[in-house]
Amino acid sequence: MSAESRRKDDTAIIIKDLVKQFEDVTAVDGLNLEIKQGELFSLLGPNGAGKTTTINILCGILKPTKGTAFVGGYDVRKNLKEIRALIGVCPQQAAVFKFLNARENIEVFGHLHAIPKKELRERTDTLLGLLDLAKVGNKKASGYSGGMLRRLNLIVALISDPTIAFLDEPTVGMDPRARRETWEFIGSLKNQGKTIILTTHYIEEAEALSDRVGIIDYGKLIELGTPKELMEKHEAKNLEEVFLKITGRRILEGL
Amino acid sequence: MNFQGLIALVKIELKKLVRQPANLFLTLLFPAVLTLMFGVVFGDPEMGMDINLIVPGLIVYACIFIIMTTAQSFSTERQEGLLKRMSTTPMTSSEFMGSQIITNMLIAILQVVVVFVLAVFIGFRPNGGIGGIFLAFPIVALFSLSSVGLGLITATVSKTPEVATGISFVFILPQMFFGTFIPLTNTTRQIAVFIPSYYVVDALSLIFAGDWTNSNILLDTGVISIVSVIIVIIGVLLFEKYGNA
Repeated sequence: MSAESRRKDDTAIIIKDLVKQFEDVTAVDGLNLEIKQGELFSLLGPNGAGKTTTINILCGILKPTKGTAFVGGYDVRKNLKEIRALIGVCPQQAAVFKFLNARENIEVFGHLHAIPKKELRERTDTLLGLLDLAKVGNKKASGYSGGMLRRLNLIVALISDPTIAFLDEPTVGMDPRARRETWEFIGSLKNQGKTIILTTHYIEEAEALSDRVGIIDYGKLIELGTPKELMEKHEAKNLEEVFLKITGRRILEGL
Repeated sequence: MNFQGLIALVKIELKKLVRQPANLFLTLLFPAVLTLMFGVVFGDPEMGMDINLIVPGLIVYACIFIIMTTAQSFSTERQEGLLKRMSTTPMTSSEFMGSQIITNMLIAILQVVVVFVLAVFIGFRPNGGIGGIFLAFPIVALFSLSSVGLGLITATVSKTPEVATGISFVFILPQMFFGTFIPLTNTTRQIAVFIPSYYVVDALSLIFAGDWTNSNILLDTGVISIVSVIIVIIGVLLFEKYGNA
């Protein structure tokens, strides 16, 4: 199947028999998954389940040990250049230059995506406003609170207006109010037709935002479906209980 | 080639220089203080040395510290997840490394200016006028390549910026003792010929002595170019294979 033909169907991501091994540890163990275009898909699981490793393979940071994946129709083993032009990545760690202010940080990453200057300035203003950082846009990131850094981290991921966004634990360290506001913002991205892959260990986050949830444990996909389907299937009140019924453990135990 | 991204990265590195006091000290203030102190103390003929003889060594001395700043910069950006994040953008690794090389060449040129101006202030009078400074720029800029390469090698083997600072002295000290302004004996010169900075000092000494037509300048420049390019290539390859994780 050519990249072009894959783009024509409604699948944004295809993961095929994906394995990632780090010496003795199998972080991803034969993962198979398809994510549709425009879908907000959450990978839910405890720390060390393989969520971040999967994301890192999909965005080209790590190479798979076995199997492969297609992002936007492009093979992660062969077409990283094309994939990088499509994606935005919000890493778990707030990876921003602390000696730069928010505006400078956003613009640097915009330049790395070769966004024309005028367009970049407009997008920067819009995103700073939407994530409530406009007033502190000229303040150095080193003076930001944890929550502000997380929001800046998210803006940087979205400055290229990506078709597919990988958000790895985007609300960790935010206070409950900021977390809810960010959820609303992430929800609005879906309305723009973006495909969003979210990793989280916050049950409410996965339940509130996701079209579908993939529960992952020890690198294996152990359950897949809409939050409602999963709760009905396992006669559970929430996804935490779903996880508990399948594995006998709680998602948050590993934290 | 994404020139827009490359220029943006050069600007960041220059902003880092200005906004991070430790970087500013190591790259510009430290050479300035060193030039004034060494110039005043060792430049006195009573000490058996002459300011006109030690200026090439002072210029090289400043440039050697690019090893430390490069190693710290890469290991900090790796620790903070910035290198990984940048690797998910369309920017290629050669564009990224290119921005680092350009920045450090600019810093090296700036260091030459700082040391030169202060040295003139305390009595440095090169034979043949100050025109030699224009020849010093490309030679030191080429030499800065080797410092970037050694900085990358240091960052590859260092897990944290603190460790990188310590390990960088493995490359700084030999160049400091065998290739700056510390007088060499016949024995130590046997070692010095394997040190890149030795050739920079030799070339700059001839230039500042007004001996511009001396063929050794060309020979020294050739050695510096070849060695620096080899070191920077090794540094980039090692860092990309083992240091970027």
